[in-house]
Amino acid sequence: MSGAYWQQGIETIRRESLEAEQLELINRSLQNARRSPFYAARYREPGAGILKSLRDLESLPFTTKDDLRRSFPYGFLAVELGEVVRLHSSSGTTGNPTVVYHTREDIEAWSNLVARCMYMVGVRREDVFQNMMGYGLFTGGIGFHYGAEKLGVMTIPIGPGNSERQIWFLKEFGVTVIHILPNYALRLYTHLESLGIDPRRHLRLRVAFIGAEPHSEEIRQKIEGFYGLKAYNSYGLSEMCGPGVAFECPQQQGMHLWEDQFYPEIIDPQSGRVLPEGEEGELVLTTLRRQAMPLIRYRTRDLTRLLPGPCPCGRSHRRIDRIKGRSDDMLIINGVNLFPIQVEKTLMKIPEVGSNYRIEIHEENYMDRLTVKVEVNPEVFQGTLAELERLQETAAERLRAETGVRPVVKLVESSSLPVCEGKAQRVFDYRKDAPAGGQGRGHQGGAR
Amino acid sequence: MGTQLSVFVENRPGKLEAIAKALAERKVNIRGISVASAGEYGVVKIIADDPNLAYELLRESGFTVSRRSIVIVLIEDLPGSLYKLLETLSGRRVNIEDCYGIVLEEGKKAAMVLEVEKYPEAERVLQQGGYKVLTDREIHSI
Repeated sequence: MSGAYWQQGIETIRRESLEAEQLELINRSLQNARRSPFYAARYREPGAGILKSLRDLESLPFTTKDDLRRSFPYGFLAVELGEVVRLHSSSGTTGNPTVVYHTREDIEAWSNLVARCMYMVGVRREDVFQNMMGYGLFTGGIGFHYGAEKLGVMTIPIGPGNSERQIWFLKEFGVTVIHILPNYALRLYTHLESLGIDPRRHLRLRVAFIGAEPHSEEIRQKIEGFYGLKAYNSYGLSEMCGPGVAFECPQQQGMHLWEDQFYPEIIDPQSGRVLPEGEEGELVLTTLRRQAMPLIRYRTRDLTRLLPGPCPCGRSHRRIDRIKGRSDDMLIINGVNLFPIQVEKTLMKIPEVGSNYRIEIHEENYMDRLTVKVEVNPEVFQGTLAELERLQETAAERLRAETGVRPVVKLVESSSLPVCEGKAQRVFDYRKDAPAGGQGRGHQGGAR
Repeated sequence: MGTQLSVFVENRPGKLEAIAKALAERKVNIRGISVASAGEYGVVKIIADDPNLAYELLRESGFTVSRRSIVIVLIEDLPGSLYKLLETLSGRRVNIEDCYGIVLEEGKKAAMVLEVEKYPEAERVLQQGGYKVLTDREIHSI
């Protein structure tokens, strides 16, 4: 570990060497993948799927989230269950969650990756790191925790919430590095202000990791200005590991995607065609070293582009742009991933609810607010206020249990919600930074 | 026992008007009305002279409406008569979920509309207490 690089050789490797290595690793990954039921069925012939060049990868089919769901629980497992030391899962039980398995080596590789990222932006053993992200099945908290410990920095596994306590720790232990939701960073700042604490003068913060939810350049700069620190964007997904897939370097011009671990492609989400470097499309990733659950050409549904040209930092791994949006209808509410289908399936199980519903997302005081408008089913309505209040409570609680987000449930009459022809538009995202594009997204900033 | 119409409405201007209009157009007479509100929405409760017609009309107009059983009991329109009625009911542990009153003949007769937990029991208690509980036909022509 010399200078700015955690692993100088890997991080600055020449492109030709990297690409040769990638071809070898993809072929090995394909071989490993065949040990899982899903890929065994897909690549039946023994000689099939040996690539002679990286371009040959384009001839292989994609893997989708639906594939993962349908193969629940062990369809993608490529090792003996006894080798698995960790399981991470998406929330919800509606239509099978997405489960990802890790061997000890997988965890080691992931931790090392995050350590590499943290080291890249200047975190050192002498720092103090407050991890203000959720632990549990969510990979964000634990992923950074393991990376921080690997790096050797003192880690405070405080998790989210309870601003008073967060501030107490920040002060008492001279915390220099934080991992935090960007909107929470802004809310926390107003809290600090009200306590008369100026982070620039009274705290020792130097670095913030704010990649857990999409945010604009303006938000990043606001956070940097308020706290007097550098705030770094990053990208990850639990299907690959979690955080650490791509990370900004001190240049803050795009996120280096670690090509010794993942092979990126950008495709046209409609046709599946691989797009040339620089064009925006959907990011597809192939794992190069994962043991428990290799994934070949996994469609992330995230829209971005590969930034052409070298980065002044000297790292040869290509950079991806800030994520522009999704090619599906997934929403991110206060850092939590949520699919409208989860809302729909939950509501359908409640007989007192009609078939029409509407999802609205607003932003208030740097907090995402989810509202679900639910139709009272005229056929089941018994005529009491008590049942309506119970319905509201039941719907809110079940939605929270399924999605991890507790919405405000508004009961509406069946005539209130507009009837749409064809595919109904269910989601109306009124947030300022709502990314455009994707099916079923509402108009930005305006009601219909 | 009688029938009350319960209509679920969002708390927005024009709802009561629309309900009244739908009934007026077909000459349904509203004998009693009350609103139970929970802020953003509420339940409008109506005693109509023809509850089945009223139900159909409201459904046709797109309302979420339900028919509920209620008890209507006659009391005197004098101080203390409501208290005596309630004393009778609570003395026999009959719980009232909702109620409202209608004066029928000033100084003489009034009717209390009651939604209770247990109907046959409530009726029994009232009759044993010497009260007149209106039958369906009597209710809808009070």
